[in-house]
Amino acid sequence: MTETSLDELGPVDFVIVEFPAGESNFTGEMASELLSLVDTGTIRIIDLLVLTKDADGALDAIELSDLEDVGELVRLEADLAEMLAEEDVVHLAEAMDPGSTAGVIIYENLWAAPFASAARRAGGQLIANGRIPIQAILAAVEADEALETVGG
Amino acid sequence: MPVRAARVGRRGVIGAPVAKAAVVAKAVTPGPSPVAKAAVVTAAVTPGRGRRRF
Repeated sequence: MTETSLDELGPVDFVIVEFPAGESNFTGEMASELLSLVDTGTIRIIDLLVLTKDADGALDAIELSDLEDVGELVRLEADLAEMLAEEDVVHLAEAMDPGSTAGVIIYENLWAAPFASAARRAGGQLIANGRIPIQAILAAVEADEALETVGG
Repeated sequence: MPVRAARVGRRGVIGAPVAKAAVVAKAVTPGPSPVAKAAVVTAAVTPGRGRRRF
C-alpha cells in the first residue's frame, strides 16, 4: 500500500457473529446485505473467515474459497487480503461457545475515509473510539427516569 | 488448528482474546417487553432529547 493510499484508508473494524448450534437459518439474506454494503461503497471486505468450535473446543477456520454454495459471495474472494493471523483466530474464538459456528469479517469503513483523512490533514489524531452498546443507552435512560422520580 | 499456511506465524491484529458481547435480547428482559424497551432506546437517540446536565 502506498503512502497516499494509507492516508486515505478508512477505519478498519471487525465483527464476529455467532450462530449457536442448531440455531442457524441461512437464507442468503446476510450475504445479500453484505454485498449491498460493498456494492454501494459503504465498506470494503478485507478478510472473511468462518470459524467452527466443536463441543471439545477444537477450532477450525474455513476460508471463503473453501466453502461450498457461497453464491454471490464468491465475488469477494479476489479482494480478500488474508489479514487475520492464526493467533487472531484463537483470540476471536475465545468469544464462541462450544458447538457454535461464527462468521468473521474485517472491513474498511469506506464511508468514513474522507472524514478520517480530513481529520489527519488537519493535524488530528484519533485518541479513542468505540461502540456504545444499546444496553448502556437503555441503562442511562432508566437511570434518568429514576432520578426524575426521586426528584419528583 | 487448521488454518491456511499464509496465516501461520504472522503477527496478529486483534491483540487480545475477545469477550462475548452482551446479547441485547437477554439484556432487555425481564421487565417491560423488548418492544417497549426498544422504543425507549429509540427515543434516547432522537434529536433534541438533550439529557446532558453538567
